[in-house]
Amino acid sequence: MAEPAIELYCCSYRYNADIPALREVSCTIPAGTWAALIGQNGSGKTTLAKLCNGLLRPDEGRVRILGQDIARQPVSKIARSVGYLFQNPDHQIFAPTVREELAFGLRNLDFPPVEIEGRIEEALALFSLEPYADQPPAVLGYGLRRQVAVASLFALRPPILILDEPTTGLHWGATQALLDRLAELHRAGHTVLLITHDMRLVAERAEWVLILHQGRLLTEGPPRELFAQPEMLARASLSPAPITRLAQRLRPRGMRGDSLTVEEFYREYTTLPVPFRGKARALP
Amino acid sequence: MSTRFDLYVARSSWLHRLDPRTKLGFVGVSFALLFLSSHLALLAAYLVAVHLLLWAARIPSDRIRWLWRQMWPLTLLILLLWPLFYPLGQPVLWAFWRVRITLPSLLQGLAAALRVDGLAFAVFVLLVSTDQARLVQGLVRLRMPFEWGLILAIALRYLPLLYSVYGTITDAQRARGWTAEQGSLPTRLRAYVPTLVALVIAALRLSDTLTLALAARGFRPGHRRTTYRSLHLRRTDWWCLAGLGLILVATIGLRLGLDW
Repeated sequence: MAEPAIELYCCSYRYNADIPALREVSCTIPAGTWAALIGQNGSGKTTLAKLCNGLLRPDEGRVRILGQDIARQPVSKIARSVGYLFQNPDHQIFAPTVREELAFGLRNLDFPPVEIEGRIEEALALFSLEPYADQPPAVLGYGLRRQVAVASLFALRPPILILDEPTTGLHWGATQALLDRLAELHRAGHTVLLITHDMRLVAERAEWVLILHQGRLLTEGPPRELFAQPEMLARASLSPAPITRLAQRLRPRGMRGDSLTVEEFYREYTTLPVPFRGKARALP
Repeated sequence: MSTRFDLYVARSSWLHRLDPRTKLGFVGVSFALLFLSSHLALLAAYLVAVHLLLWAARIPSDRIRWLWRQMWPLTLLILLLWPLFYPLGQPVLWAFWRVRITLPSLLQGLAAALRVDGLAFAVFVLLVSTDQARLVQGLVRLRMPFEWGLILAIALRYLPLLYSVYGTITDAQRARGWTAEQGSLPTRLRAYVPTLVALVIAALRLSDTLTLALAARGFRPGHRRTTYRSLHLRRTDWWCLAGLGLILVATIGLRLGLDW
């Protein structure tokens, strides 16, 4: 098993005395894993993510990043290991040009000028932002602003990437481009933790899923295993990806009911005996 | 979230049921009392009375603690700086080189701090017990143009939101390795550019969205409007207004007669 990238031991956090946001959460995400953090609104996903980069410190428990306890590390040091993409790109965009926006984090982390230049060009190219490189990012459309925010995170290339709802508001093409870039980094050994409500995205990309419910870790495991338990998902106001639900409804016709992608579904469906395919009968 | 997006707390207390004009009257009399009086006992009594008022209106204590948390840095600053910059009178409690701390300046600093806290709590009483629609309606019934009333109400309501946005922006920049630098004032101001510029952009975008949202729901400046709910001063309101009038007269009397 790979070395752990993120380890949480019995972490609890309260924003105020009455409402615990996280309650005794323990989990380990091995390095190089593409993990997804899911749960209904207010379940503690963003709180957990902020514990991982030191923006919040647990009231109880410990957080270890790449084997190091981060309790005494400043956020600026943790930022070298953990990149965090906020939900709203407008919460970080400030620079007069896209190029300078991308350079901001690199300068903060004391990268040499030559490397900064190289990484900016690379990030601009990766996200097709070259035409906008010298434009003020604040006046770009929402999708492009989000691309700028993601590109500024990519430029840092930290070993751990935490992305809070990165695909919200993006059209299909931009979403796929972003996920492909993430996949490249993942293949290169980066750990990805995705906070999302998009079950299709979880099914298609995640290797490991953590489900939070009312501040507690309800369960964790591979998506195929978790999506096979719709009753358990319903407890956290979640449901499996649409293609998995369709496969589950076709179990009486011989489907295993564990498809995570359209391709998997198609492969299995086309191997079913012909009498079970193509008949226009009411589904059970 | 540790920051309030809206100060209003929905309850069915007598304070909530008061007409917003009565509560605006309370704010006006409070301001008069706090600016006219420098007597420590009176200022402290005002703060105690406001807390009792909030308690009687069943305002959650965490909201009151929240306001104190916002106010204590300013309170502390006044308490520290006032005696340093206005070293008036005798006796001198402490002296070093050109710095003198005197008892009257210390007491004046305390009075100024209590006054500022009192002003904040006076407005807090209004905002915590009056929803935006009733507040605007109250201001309009006091002959303020509707557009002005709306602008004021929105400004009051959105300040905490902008504060919260600023917190998120700071977190976003810290996550990219930004730290608030120490050093001279220009250095520190320059260091805050990434957070302040992002806040201005977010505020402009917010105001633009809000304008469109208002227009999308048929808002037309200068257009004569009907009201969904009408305001009526009830007997309790008249009693409260009479009480406030008495307090105002007593405050002026104490100021002129006893120099309190």
